[in-house]
Amino acid sequence: MTDTPNERDRLLMHAYIDGELDPANAIAVEQRIAADPALAGERTRVEALRRALQERLPPEMPPPGLEARVRRTVGVAAERARPTWRALAASILVAVMASSATTWLVLQPAPGDSVADAVMDGHLRALMAPQPIDVASSDRHTVKPWFQGKIPQAPRVVDLAPEGFPLVGGRIDVIGRQGVPSLVYRRRQHVISVTAVPDSAHQEPPRSVKGYNVMRWAADGIGYWAVSDLNADELATFARLFRETPADR
Amino acid sequence: MSGDDDKVRFGRVVLPHLGDAYALARWITGHRADAEDVVQEACLRAFRAIGGFSGGNARAWTLTIVRNTAYSWLSKNRSAVVVSVDDLEATERAFAKPTDIGTGESYAANPETDLIAKADAAQLEAAIAALPAQFRETLVLRDIQGLDYREIAAVTEVPVGTVMSRLARARQRLIDTLGTRER
Repeated sequence: MTDTPNERDRLLMHAYIDGELDPANAIAVEQRIAADPALAGERTRVEALRRALQERLPPEMPPPGLEARVRRTVGVAAERARPTWRALAASILVAVMASSATTWLVLQPAPGDSVADAVMDGHLRALMAPQPIDVASSDRHTVKPWFQGKIPQAPRVVDLAPEGFPLVGGRIDVIGRQGVPSLVYRRRQHVISVTAVPDSAHQEPPRSVKGYNVMRWAADGIGYWAVSDLNADELATFARLFRETPADR
Repeated sequence: MSGDDDKVRFGRVVLPHLGDAYALARWITGHRADAEDVVQEACLRAFRAIGGFSGGNARAWTLTIVRNTAYSWLSKNRSAVVVSVDDLEATERAFAKPTDIGTGESYAANPETDLIAKADAAQLEAAIAALPAQFRETLVLRDIQGLDYREIAAVTEVPVGTVMSRLARARQRLIDTLGTRER
């Protein structure tokens, strides 16, 4: 080979710095470095270079859209995206239809406060999802049409941003076998879900469920259920504003 | 069903290394937009070849495809950039400076080390970009992306001994460039 002994020492010195040598070879290189000031100087410079590279040139992150672009190209769906509420609603509907009568009964809303539980479950599931909403918009002219065609009746959507309850979007929850619209508003960091449940106007709601405050009111044969961790007074204010504000102001 | 299996495998084998893929492609092509195109094309190739992945080192497997894709992409789209460096190592040895293998007391602590330690990101980047392609990819895979010698040998398809000599020479060039620059 054309390598001089010196060349070999230098290569082994690099391998030593990189932690690539077994203990026996590492000791031999350490002895060579200790005995050769030139090699020791080179080691110092290589280590200075490696430190500079590690500190100042970390691997560049790919642009945020690259993974999505690759997934599209290859046709692999995003794994991280959880099922949307619409997909989940559909799958629950399928499950209900395919399941036994026992399951059916479990999922059927029983008389009493089961609507409150279902509304609460919808709110909690939405809070656990990356986004508590399917359609994210503060514009009621976007949110209301989004519901049309997905459920029998689009909900009444009012703009309460001037009163400090901005609309952030909407989603579809499933109560019993029915897809129902939920509007999502915000008060500071608190999320408020307003779920419109037909034919539930006669039900007496609890004041709170699992530490969440619940408000119910009825209008035009539809029961509106507002759920939030917001304090009861402000939730009552929200409910009053929602009732009293015309949808087309 | 095998189509779905391929998609699952692709998700497990290739996608976790997208960051490394992009970083390598960017260093080889020198441009971010080019790197994105290369990664996209490489992923398509990887997906078609995923059945052939035998369950070894997924990162090395992915980066091998990215590297090959990057060079063929460059020769197709940027033909002026690719320089053949087959004889690079021999040339390098012939012109090795006497000081590289000299002896002396002055080597241990000298202003060169200080200059290297103080090089900023732009200077480091420019010095790496100026390296011949084979030296650059070896250095980037080791000192920026943290692959070990065997992985680098697999990705660049050369023996480990060649990886060692390329890495040593790449580092020496950077040391020469950075250690002698004007303050």
